[in-house]
Amino acid sequence: MLGAIRPAGQDFPVLLHIVGATIVFGALLASVSSLALARGQVRLLRVGYFSLLLVALPGWILMRLSGEWIYRKQGWNSLPHDLKDTTWLRIGFGVADYGGLLFLVALVIGGVAVRRLRNGKKGIGLLRITTGIALVIALAFVVAVWAMTGKPNYGEGTSALAAGTNTQTTAVAVTATEFKFKLSKSSVPHGKVVFTLANKGKLAHDFWIAGKSSPLVQPGKSAKLTVTLSSGKLLYLCTVPGHSAAGMKGTLTVR
Amino acid sequence: MSFQDWIFSVHLLFAATLVGGFVMSWIVVVALRSVDAAAETLSFNRVAMVGTIAIVLGLPGTIALGIWLAILRPQFHPWDGWVIGAIVLWVIATVAVLRSLVEYRKPARKARELIAAGVTGPSSELVALNRTTTGLLLRALASAAIVLIVIDMIYKPGA
Repeated sequence: MLGAIRPAGQDFPVLLHIVGATIVFGALLASVSSLALARGQVRLLRVGYFSLLLVALPGWILMRLSGEWIYRKQGWNSLPHDLKDTTWLRIGFGVADYGGLLFLVALVIGGVAVRRLRNGKKGIGLLRITTGIALVIALAFVVAVWAMTGKPNYGEGTSALAAGTNTQTTAVAVTATEFKFKLSKSSVPHGKVVFTLANKGKLAHDFWIAGKSSPLVQPGKSAKLTVTLSSGKLLYLCTVPGHSAAGMKGTLTVR
Repeated sequence: MSFQDWIFSVHLLFAATLVGGFVMSWIVVVALRSVDAAAETLSFNRVAMVGTIAIVLGLPGTIALGIWLAILRPQFHPWDGWVIGAIVLWVIATVAVLRSLVEYRKPARKARELIAAGVTGPSSELVALNRTTTGLLLRALASAAIVLIVIDMIYKPGA
């Protein structure tokens, strides 16, 4: 799994998150297959249910807690709102949280079914509902894996030019390395500012300021970001997960 | 999403399928140890088939796209130590999985023979085959190799 190189200290929670997610996925596969292919065999129906209870549930807890750990470790909780609210994070958290609720419903229904079967009553219908719910969650997991790894709508940039009263244009050279930015100016006059981001590191980086972001810039490449800034102290950062928490952020004074 | 992002995403989907298949196969392998009847053995075999398909799809998909990514991405090379390490572990996992599949096919074959002979009750021979130590050890070896690949891919030693 040729993923990104992460800042130090983020690998272990990522490992736990991946282990948890694959345990959930495997247990869901086992559960759906056992329940769907049981053909009334009680032992296989029980295997299907207990795969959910004893394997998928601990896996889900591990995945969710380590996901929260990564979220904090990468500093997402301290980012501006529009950066926090990325599509891929929404999909990931949505599947984990709403999928978790559905999962609990499946466990309760399946639990009632197993108890009924143990007492010699009918419970196959209830287990079919459990199978259906588990199948929906498994499919949602596939979407979540795609979203968390592909990060749709991420890195396309939002460069825009707004109208301003100051016609003066200021150029700022931004050099990105692991894991810091170096700006040619620490303060700029308000108005139009053109940032030229040069990536001199080994990983892809971008530059975000005042709600606008440059495209994701590969190592050795550069890109421009034009924004109109008002007076104040403005936060700038790299939006690649974990990079701002590792040091790729700062403030620019706009006079 | 760029072309590389798509390759990366599909690579990880194959990886999730592979590891998920292993988790599933462990659930079946553990449950199978208490099975002593032919019909039940065949039912578990049907379920195990889903996990086997996941593993058989995941193994080549993960390695092929992984090597492609190592070539495409400028910061990685197929000859990096951690990439070569992963390839070696992948070979170990593949050989161990294929050998374990041979071991776990034996109880299914025996179950069919028992059913054909009209034996539907418990069979000590079937229990012994369902509890195959060789199959279990091979599956454990393959799983250990897969876990090490996951660790290698996340920590990327030397990268």
